[in-house]
Amino acid sequence: MSAEIRIRDLVVRFGAGVLAVDRFSLEVEAGEFVSIVGPSGCGKTTVLNLLTGLIGLELGEIAVRGMRPFAGNPDIAYMLARDSLLPWRTTLENACYGMELRGIARATREQKAQALLARVGLKDFAGAWPKQLSHGMRQRAALARTFCLDSPILLMDEPFGALDAQTKLQLEDLLLELWNAERRTVVFITHDLAEAVALSDRVIVMSARPGRIIADMPIDLPRPRSVRALQKDHRFHEFYADVWAKLEQGLGRALEEVH
Amino acid sequence: MRSRGRIAGHAAFVIAFLALWEFAARKEWLDPVFFGNPSGIVAYLWDGFAVKRILWLQLGYTVAGTLVSFFLGSLLAILFALAFVTWPRLEQAMDPYLMVLNATPRIALAPLFLLWFGLGIGSKIAVGTSLSFFIVLSSTVAGIRGVNPDHVTLSRTLGARPMQLFFKVTLPSAVPVIFSGLRLALIFSMLGVIGAELIAAEHGLGQTLSYLQSTFNMNGVMGLLVLLALLGMAVTRGMSQLERTLLKWQ
Repeated sequence: MSAEIRIRDLVVRFGAGVLAVDRFSLEVEAGEFVSIVGPSGCGKTTVLNLLTGLIGLELGEIAVRGMRPFAGNPDIAYMLARDSLLPWRTTLENACYGMELRGIARATREQKAQALLARVGLKDFAGAWPKQLSHGMRQRAALARTFCLDSPILLMDEPFGALDAQTKLQLEDLLLELWNAERRTVVFITHDLAEAVALSDRVIVMSARPGRIIADMPIDLPRPRSVRALQKDHRFHEFYADVWAKLEQGLGRALEEVH
Repeated sequence: MRSRGRIAGHAAFVIAFLALWEFAARKEWLDPVFFGNPSGIVAYLWDGFAVKRILWLQLGYTVAGTLVSFFLGSLLAILFALAFVTWPRLEQAMDPYLMVLNATPRIALAPLFLLWFGLGIGSKIAVGTSLSFFIVLSSTVAGIRGVNPDHVTLSRTLGARPMQLFFKVTLPSAVPVIFSGLRLALIFSMLGVIGAELIAAEHGLGQTLSYLQSTFNMNGVMGLLVLLALLGMAVTRGMSQLERTLLKWQ
């Protein structure tokens, strides 16, 4: 079976030759949930932006379902760190936005968006403006917008990074519930190791800049998972400690190179 | 209830003020040649709107001039703003000239426009347009540049074409800023039109005002000032109402 996402020997330089990402290779199989963790500035978001085709590839190879990345690839649904709800659209209209751009008929998209809003607990807020929603509710609406699209690949860039701990746990569980029903391929960027371990099948650990892969760790916790229940699971904490140790090694190596 | 009390308070104050003015004028404590009197003002307006009906035409000229210069100035400004945002080098090239034009007190251009476009409504529209244009231009450029980059990123990953991006993201996000420019532009269009009418015109409230002043018809002057104040208020109220309807998401 060929990989859904294949990245080989990716090198990214910024501006006057600053090496941002160095020899990054990764394969993600269909239905896999892969998280990429690493310190700030290690190039996690850059990798995601390359996959979406928002920035051009200079060195290396990238294939998304066998094709070179291009902006607007219908195989990809992207979820950003901030909810990015359009404030002049109601929750329902925001949930429909992606489908609207992709030319899906109004009746179909509204039906689908209503169903998704109900699943994320926003059934009664379909007509509300984004300013009337809490942070958590806004991110739920963004989840609905993302899952309304029938793209087989979801790219998520720290979608819960700005939420408080309680809301974050709720939304992580919600994400797992939605994902579990369809098992799409997910590449999830986060700097929260607990989140990465709880959600993923594999955790990719990147070093500080220049970002390199320093570990590719399978997380074979049973599914379906509950993020809240995992907080009391000793294996979850073992995985967490392992990932943390790898990340520390990477940070140490980067500091040695600096000095 | 409190607002009703406040309105009653204002009404009482205005009535007392008008009564005092009327009383002072009748006793000749105030010279009616310079101040007129409220009953004379009401009589002038009644005569102008209900009996001889000559003021309707003048009002019509001023309102038409204001609206045409507002729409023309705003439309040109929005087109220029779109061109500037699409081709920043065009903006760089034109910036010094626009800056000089914008710094020139536009009302000073009225004599020139009178020569070019004549005494009729054309020269009034030219002055009004020259005022509204710059206001809407700067607010539209600022509004378009202020678009949230996350919205653009998201839309591009979703496959938005340039026109879709413009109509679904850039334009709606710029509307609040453009609107504050439009509100100001409407007031300035009226200012330009009346200013030009005061200088030289065949019709319009400004021209009538200038004529009444030269014939020492103070009740007429005061009456038109009241009318202009009411017109300005109606314009501002109308724009606020439109803004509330269009921007209810804010």
